[in-house]
Amino acid sequence: MTTQILVILAVMIAAYAAAKAAKLSVELGIFAAAVGGGLAGAFLKTPAIGELGRHLVEGSTTYLDVILVFFTATLFMTIVNESGGVDYVVRATLRAFGKMRLPALLVLMIIVLVPGALTGAGSVSLLVVGAPVALALGRLGVPKKRVAAILFIVAGLSAAAPPVNIWAMILCAGTAIPYVGFEFTLGIPVLFLGTFTILVLGWKKDTGTMSGNADLPLTTPGMTWWRVTIPFAVFFGMVVAYRIWPFSTPIFGLSLEFTVAGAAALLLSPKRIAFLTLARDTAKRLLPLLATMVAVGMLQQIMTATGVRGLLSFAVISTPLVLLFFLLPIIIPFSEGLLTYGGAAIIGIPLIWFLDSIGFHATVVIAGLSLLWPLGDGLPPTALIGRLSTMVSGYEGSYKDFLKATWLPWLAVTAVAMGMIIFSSKLAFLVRWSM
Amino acid sequence: MRKDAFLKTVLAAAFVAFVLWGGLPLFRHRHHDVPIVKGPGVTAVRRLSEYSPGLKGTPGDTFIYVLQGREPGGKALLMGDTHSNEPEGMLSAIIVVENGIVEKGTLYVIPVFNNSGSRNTRPGDGYPLYFDVATDWGQRRFRFGNRDASPLDQWPDPDVYIHYPERQLLSYIDIRNTNRTWPGRANGPLMEKVTFGAMELMRREKIDLAIDVHGAETMFPVTNCIVAPESSVKIATLASLTVKAKEGFESHVERSPVGFRGLSHREIGDHGPALPFLLEAPIPFLDQPTGPKTTKLLLDGKDPFLLSLSKKKKLFVPYDESGWPLEKRVGQNLSVTLEIFRQFSKKAADRAIAVSGVPRYADLVKNGVGHFLADPAKTPAGGVVMN
Repeated sequence: MTTQILVILAVMIAAYAAAKAAKLSVELGIFAAAVGGGLAGAFLKTPAIGELGRHLVEGSTTYLDVILVFFTATLFMTIVNESGGVDYVVRATLRAFGKMRLPALLVLMIIVLVPGALTGAGSVSLLVVGAPVALALGRLGVPKKRVAAILFIVAGLSAAAPPVNIWAMILCAGTAIPYVGFEFTLGIPVLFLGTFTILVLGWKKDTGTMSGNADLPLTTPGMTWWRVTIPFAVFFGMVVAYRIWPFSTPIFGLSLEFTVAGAAALLLSPKRIAFLTLARDTAKRLLPLLATMVAVGMLQQIMTATGVRGLLSFAVISTPLVLLFFLLPIIIPFSEGLLTYGGAAIIGIPLIWFLDSIGFHATVVIAGLSLLWPLGDGLPPTALIGRLSTMVSGYEGSYKDFLKATWLPWLAVTAVAMGMIIFSSKLAFLVRWSM
Repeated sequence: MRKDAFLKTVLAAAFVAFVLWGGLPLFRHRHHDVPIVKGPGVTAVRRLSEYSPGLKGTPGDTFIYVLQGREPGGKALLMGDTHSNEPEGMLSAIIVVENGIVEKGTLYVIPVFNNSGSRNTRPGDGYPLYFDVATDWGQRRFRFGNRDASPLDQWPDPDVYIHYPERQLLSYIDIRNTNRTWPGRANGPLMEKVTFGAMELMRREKIDLAIDVHGAETMFPVTNCIVAPESSVKIATLASLTVKAKEGFESHVERSPVGFRGLSHREIGDHGPALPFLLEAPIPFLDQPTGPKTTKLLLDGKDPFLLSLSKKKKLFVPYDESGWPLEKRVGQNLSVTLEIFRQFSKKAADRAIAVSGVPRYADLVKNGVGHFLADPAKTPAGGVVMN
């Protein structure tokens, strides 16, 4: 069986490579890999050829919810931007903190951490506050490449931050471990790593990029604080209302919450916005990202139906423990890059069961692993958060250079995460503090 | 310009054809009804919406088969398909419905507890849509569903699920998982209405025992076991010891954790009169490190990767070349269920539950699951309920 699956995996890789050689986009490459793998599997009826269409269509819906959130959140922020709200916020923030670099950087870090911590999605942080924070960092003299790097790492940390950490929730749901005890276990490392990242990448000024207040964007006539804050208050109000009154607040879901906030921003805009044109342009801008999500879902489905996913999981679980600890900093981020949240289920769940059974503290291990997964959101083929970070920061250089700029915080995150995993039993006090 | 329009038309047509090719099987799966034969012991068929009116006319509603005994006694509720990707629960319940005769007491059986989940699939996980069980008269087809209800029936999900009434934060997906939404609410989301209906049934009918039948991965520590809270642990232990001594298979007891909310084995006892039990039989199909997700793996439970991991002592159950076939899983569930009835009846003679006609572990292992499934085509009119 292993040989059969390895052949299918080879066909998938070959199909992806052929698509890249033909200069097709990443998403078409992933689609080619899924179709190639499915056809190779059909020779052995895993899956049967008649089932291939169903698997591809079903797989394409794997991340439908995430796609809806991406689109509605981006549309919301585009409306805020178009109405002049982003320029207004940047100007005001710099006026208040421009001369106090340390508090300015720390405040900007917290601003990025909050939306992701509340929703469990780093993408939400980037889509909601990424653009204004990027502009503010730019005005503080941080070059765009480092701005993108800061946003990527801090948005990743925001997704791992309590109270909502989707990776930890998936692992807890799959391993029947209560999702409790994460507040300090995740909160302390996230704040430490966030501070480290913003200071390492943002402290040094690049005088060439730095501009004074004279160069700040002009504010749109009629724009006021309340016009900017009300749409955000509408969004966070709906998120927080469910937390405070969960049994009497209707469940809107993030997509509808962003849509309602977007409608508020549209109504409060001091200038008229051509909504349909804006929505069309937003869809066009997001298309490669959304198409990647669709194609990754298809690939994941085919990988499971053919046994490729199981083989990868088997390879990880079979690895001797010491070697596994050396490999986890590579395996975990790459599983996220390939399968996004699927990696947590495929590798994470059996790994937690295994480590728990040999005396590791499951909650601390889950917290440690969930710091590693966000790093993978910068890795191909999906590179969701990495691509969003470059998009909202306006960085147009090479993606490889952007990734290189993250090396020091990347290492710090890896070291902290691995320390938490290896010394999980000694760190169990963090769980007790949180209870 | 014309060439461009032509290309776009061809691409659009190809897209529609692709969606139809892949989408129609999913549509048919969602609307495929499974016949369940009313066996000789069935005295009434009800709907869960009689206990939770909010379910009426929704895909959350499901059938309750009542098997009233000749003599009065205790009452038990048996639930299968809480997770519709663990079919040993549903098949155990169907075998009871189609074969069981209650001598004493009353049995309430819900074979498809999460009806919406049984009509759902699991995108990204490459599951088959159906599985066929070989019987003495041919093949009998069943839907293979998902752990969670369909988003077509309950949507949107919140960004985090806050459990009622304990306020514990759970994964957002768990709002569609009927083993996280206990004890439920009359006016909550659809799956909370489902669990609320079952709680109401237990409260109104004064149910003594509630058994929720599942399957669990071989790599999951809580597998091959009976999960029970403090109130049921004595009966669970006696049942576990008896099946090991008399029938030769292991099903150890796991304590229901107090701090993990929303599960049947925790909330049923905390919010109602019944003693809860959750049965887990090992189902290799659900393990992550397996080969292709085929119906063969689902039925015979044989996988070379798991065999290798077993040799490295990474599984929580014994595993050899014989795998963990369906008949073994269903057999375990049925024997443990019958043993729980027996142990309870010994403790509370005035509330005794006595059931005959239901096969035990050895019968299933010898004859297979299909041997105990009736032929809906040969059943007289009115004797089949489409689920």
